[in-house]
Amino acid sequence: MPAPAAPNSDDQLSLFSPPPSSPKQPIIYPLHHSLSSPVSRIAISWSRGNTLRLSLLPQPSSNGGIEVNDGDDSSGGSVVEVKLSAGNGGIDDDAQWRRIVYGSVAPFAMFQSRKNSAFSFSKLPVGALSNVDWWEYVMEYSKEINSLLGTTKSMASSIVDDPRRILMVDEEPTSLKAAWELLEIFYADKQSQAWLPERLVDWLADYDSLFSETQFTVYSKLVDLQQRLLNMQTIEDDQKYWDCLSSALALGWLDIVVKLLRLHGSYQLDQLSRRETENGLVEAVVVLVSKMPRLRPELQAGRLGECYKNKTDFIKGWETWRARVTKLECSGYWVQCGHQKTREGLRKILQIMLGNTEHLSATTCHWVELYIAHFIYIRPFTVGFESLYSQAQKCIQLKPVSHPHSLMGLMVGILGENTEVVLAECSRAFGPWMVTHAIELLTAGNDQSEILLHEVRQNLGGVSIEELHRLVYAQVLASNQLTWQIAPVYLTSCRPGMGMLEILLYRQPVHLKQGLLKNLEICRLYELDTVSSNIMKIAGVHHWKHGRKGSGIFWLQQAQDEIRLNKIAQQLFDFVGKSVSEESFKQWEGLIELLGSDTRTAGGLEFLHKYRDFKRSLQQVVDGKATDAARQAVESLILLMKNPSTPQQFWLPLLHDSLKLLTWREGPLLDVAQTNLLLNKLQELSMARMRPDYVEADLPTQALSTVRLALATNLGRAILEEQ
Amino acid sequence: MEKTVATLEKGTVCSAWNYSAQRLATGSINGLLTIFDSPDPASSSPFSPSSFQVHEGSIVKVAWVPPEYGDAIACILDDGTLSLWEEVTGEGQSLQWKICTKFQNKSARVLDIQFGGSSTCLKLVVAYSDGYAKVYELQNPLELNTWQLQAEFQNVIDSVSKFAKASCLSASISWIPQIGESQQLSFVLGFNSDIPQLNSSKVWEFDQLHQRWLTVAELALPENTGDPVHAVAWAPNICRPYEIISVATQMGIAIWHIGLHPDVNGHLSVEKIALLSGHQGEVWQMEWDMSGMTLASTGSDGVVRLWQSNLNGVWHEQAVLEPTS
Amino acid sequence: MAVNQFQTQQHQNLQIHRLPQSKFIDAVRWLPPFAAFDKFIVLSLFDPTSSSSTIELHSLDFPDSANPNPILSPLSTFSSPSLSRTSFLKTSQSLIAFSTFSGSLDFLSPNYSSPDEVSLDSLPSLQEKGFHVGPISCIDVLERDCVSVGEDGRVNLVGFGDGKASYRRVFDSDGLVSYSAVKWASPMEFATGGLGCSLQWWDQRRKPGEPALQFKGKWSQKTASGVVHSIDIHPSRKHTCMAGGSSGTVFGWDLRWPQQPIVLSGVGIGERPSNPISESEVWEVQFDCHLQSSNITSMSSSMMPVMMCSEEGILAVLEPGAEPFELLEEPCAINSFDINKQNYSDVICSLEWESLAILSRS
Repeated sequence: MPAPAAPNSDDQLSLFSPPPSSPKQPIIYPLHHSLSSPVSRIAISWSRGNTLRLSLLPQPSSNGGIEVNDGDDSSGGSVVEVKLSAGNGGIDDDAQWRRIVYGSVAPFAMFQSRKNSAFSFSKLPVGALSNVDWWEYVMEYSKEINSLLGTTKSMASSIVDDPRRILMVDEEPTSLKAAWELLEIFYADKQSQAWLPERLVDWLADYDSLFSETQFTVYSKLVDLQQRLLNMQTIEDDQKYWDCLSSALALGWLDIVVKLLRLHGSYQLDQLSRRETENGLVEAVVVLVSKMPRLRPELQAGRLGECYKNKTDFIKGWETWRARVTKLECSGYWVQCGHQKTREGLRKILQIMLGNTEHLSATTCHWVELYIAHFIYIRPFTVGFESLYSQAQKCIQLKPVSHPHSLMGLMVGILGENTEVVLAECSRAFGPWMVTHAIELLTAGNDQSEILLHEVRQNLGGVSIEELHRLVYAQVLASNQLTWQIAPVYLTSCRPGMGMLEILLYRQPVHLKQGLLKNLEICRLYELDTVSSNIMKIAGVHHWKHGRKGSGIFWLQQAQDEIRLNKIAQQLFDFVGKSVSEESFKQWEGLIELLGSDTRTAGGLEFLHKYRDFKRSLQQVVDGKATDAARQAVESLILLMKNPSTPQQFWLPLLHDSLKLLTWREGPLLDVAQTNLLLNKLQELSMARMRPDYVEADLPTQALSTVRLALATNLGRAILEEQ
Repeated sequence: MEKTVATLEKGTVCSAWNYSAQRLATGSINGLLTIFDSPDPASSSPFSPSSFQVHEGSIVKVAWVPPEYGDAIACILDDGTLSLWEEVTGEGQSLQWKICTKFQNKSARVLDIQFGGSSTCLKLVVAYSDGYAKVYELQNPLELNTWQLQAEFQNVIDSVSKFAKASCLSASISWIPQIGESQQLSFVLGFNSDIPQLNSSKVWEFDQLHQRWLTVAELALPENTGDPVHAVAWAPNICRPYEIISVATQMGIAIWHIGLHPDVNGHLSVEKIALLSGHQGEVWQMEWDMSGMTLASTGSDGVVRLWQSNLNGVWHEQAVLEPTS
Repeated sequence: MAVNQFQTQQHQNLQIHRLPQSKFIDAVRWLPPFAAFDKFIVLSLFDPTSSSSTIELHSLDFPDSANPNPILSPLSTFSSPSLSRTSFLKTSQSLIAFSTFSGSLDFLSPNYSSPDEVSLDSLPSLQEKGFHVGPISCIDVLERDCVSVGEDGRVNLVGFGDGKASYRRVFDSDGLVSYSAVKWASPMEFATGGLGCSLQWWDQRRKPGEPALQFKGKWSQKTASGVVHSIDIHPSRKHTCMAGGSSGTVFGWDLRWPQQPIVLSGVGIGERPSNPISESEVWEVQFDCHLQSSNITSMSSSMMPVMMCSEEGILAVLEPGAEPFELLEEPCAINSFDINKQNYSDVICSLEWESLAILSRS
């Protein structure tokens, strides 16, 4: 497969063009297909979310599509699906990716609701709330998202029993997690802002390996050394050993430095007598390294360094420690150290501890490492954001990179307090998931970013940048069949999302019950009644036309679609009118039961239910002779004839069926008023027969006159009865 | 990045996906209509095709009827007629595709069709080779053979002028995308013909009060009104205070903003925001994504181009999808 | 498949473990064990990347009491390229039956050699045109007898003879009625449920070919618009059915009083608990014998507790006259669950977000 025609680092289509207003050449993607003839026409269709389905059609041969060349068994074209989802933050495993997607729903929703309640409570923009609770919420959100991105054990903290193993990697750290932690350090973790440099030291310790993808790093140096360690005896003769020691120290990886120093040959039992001074010097350095003051609230158990919680104590401690380093540096013992490499190596280590700029620059590999080394040894008292950016720029000038790692870009954006760059880097390198969730951190306490991200932009069609990113992310979610149900969470959290949610719901297939009900549940949650009724209409018509009449009617009833139900009623009447035999009615029983259960919108179908009741009591009359049953049948008949929904075409059959009731031997069952009602109906019917559109019932020709006679007889008897 | 989801039969010339992207209909040069189905929920393959003959000659275009009206397909045929097919179960029969109706017109050929309207009222606009558009309305929502002609007009600004001898090569229609009960009825129509007045895309709107169709906007600069239009597409609008319509002519793809509120004369304000060039030759089809933010286009140069606006509202070409074997 | 991740929480003698599967779980059931301490689970999985379905048999082990994280070890897998997604799955000692959305009914027979070696033998499947039209919505298995219902309104009984499956049509409503749930009561009786919260009782001896009894509850409008998704029959009192469906509805039906539903949960019903436990679809209900075995006094109450799961992500136990007891509250739907009939304290659930949840009560 040929590579993409245009160079593109992450080989993904990003839907969002990050650097605003910078003109960009379109990215060219090849569409691979196996057609033997060239594609002459492409038909486009958007599928789920932002997937495109393309029909690639070759030129059809002019002779009616039948190929003259029999050897060519090519097909007539192919349909390819192209997912335009932007990058998944470098996570290639789809299942792993979905797990992150699923896991981030609850923290996001929780944070949104806390934000909303905080907002409504204080009537102030969220950013103006600077209470402790708020930052706890932000941190909780950040930690929960962070935990989804995998667990990384700090490299330096891994205490390995094997003395010759200095590095241990449990799990490959991901750039996504590294990026999230960077954002967390700067935007969410307000509690530890005072210990920012130490947090960055820890961060680099965890993630320096990631930079090794694009450049040489201290981490990669150590990996090399690890290889050599396994088959090397006199380690102190190797220059690489000393280089690595300086480099690891420059980044503050004290544990590794001490572990490496202890591998020094002078520690070996057989060497003790001959290399006492040398060993003493090594050990002195070990002590100094182990006692290095660190401005941080705590150190993990077993980790080296002296912990200082506040700046005053730290400055005091630092100065004492520096004095000890200087003292050792000026010590007379150095001349007694016979091993040249040890002498030089150790003194270089001391230089680093003393903050020698040249040495620091020489022992670190890329600018982030140099930057961190600066924090530790040159400006150890840095607190907060003071001149962070200019310092970073100096380091970049000292160690320029041709292809900066995405984390470097992100770091520059953060240090430069440039929200747009931060977003652009997040979007370019990690995709819409990252941007959507990171914006929460960016706006958590920063008024400027909040204004920037929440401002409604006419250029974007009246949406804000935050909303735009949520829409883009929702579209990515919508393109996957397993994640589309999550999209509503993000869509309903932004104003323009409702419109898109309606479109999304409308496009879900509804012919299967489970999917349909899950769709409707979303409509219920977000009170989308119109969409819901539309979906039910689609389902109803589909079932009706596909032979599932019961389901069809059921869903149309749910949709309260009277127009369609009335049309259906017409069709059913025609059928019922034709075959009113008991046998065929049995089949309809279940359907009629269903119709009767919903009194709201049976439409004209309500009639069928009453008609069934009437037929049933009539049947009982035929079977036995109970006058009670007959009376009940008359009740049903009157109800039916009174009801406006009873179709006219049924009037005569109904009356004809009831002849037995009208001429009941034991006495008239209908009173005068009832008989008059039926006579009026009959009159109406004779008028209607004159009209051309009248449908003649399938009854004996004399049916009308028979009924009229019976009614007249009944009327006469009823009058007599009443007097 | 791409995945093959179906292999088409020989001689396939057109295709269309249904509303949920679960079913694909294709038409072939020898009159076969093929339906590809996926039986499972949420699975995109394998698709099992079934075919049936709808015509002796070629099918030119297929289009699905909106789902509120069942599973049905309209086919434009090479003899200039239009036929409508529906998947139904008859009394005591299994599921099959049946013809509902045929739209015949002796004097002109059907160039393009589009279904529109709402879930309660289905409309069909048909553009003919004589520069006329006919609007049909479905009478019974459950019977796809109950069409009534509602209006008939030529694509001109003032309804007085008539062009008797127009000869149109192609036409393109696009309804305002909407779902649900909304009563607004609008579509945009453009022609590629020998009569300049017919060509430019015009937005037609149904005037409920007087029950007639009116042009409310013309999407062409004064110097380009006669340019033949190759394709039009109305973008979904999820929150914009204006509508977006894209119009393709030989100049390129123009992006138009259309105001929502008419002036005293009943006209909508229009503004040409961008003219996108990139395609070599004619643009045949344009499709907006669900958010109305990305436009996909394709044409005689055989590639697909994606267009977007950046944060400053500047439209640009985002990507090109190029077939390679 | 190895256990990728686990999560345990202690909640009143309740242990919950979540096992991500990286595939969508179409169905999950316990397989009755062959020996005393075996625990087997049958999973129907759908892989969206390859659009393929598989049926997998796993054994479930809790290695030791100090470390209670369960381990699922795959024993056997069945897949075929033409296999469509599973719409319903049921198991008995000798049969695993699963219906598909394409309308076929497939069978597997577990072949037990040892607790670590159980294979799945494929039995001939039913996929004739006349069997069902469209998807089969529900099946139930009693030993080697199977009953299936569909939206097409057909009720079929499936049996095995001469090594092949054959079916007998009990009823065909010709699409006028659709069925969405079915459950055996005895070898001759079963209950079905469908649209409009309807229930039917079928008795093959007394009234073959049509429902022997129809449930006609007087529902409010909201409930009447529901669909029954699941039915269970009381293990000892066959005349009591329990049904779960739309709008959080869970109700009992006693055949002796066919007009009076015993409502345990639901929206818009007169007598009901003040706070409905769920307002969405109740996907599955099962009688829960767990408390009964531990608490003899509750035997006297009119109805046994019922477990239900819902689209809102709730797994709870309901009992007439008592507050519902929530076992799980997930951020996503719980699509199905199964109580281990050999050990009522074990419950397994399939979660919408590609996870299994295993609950151990004590």
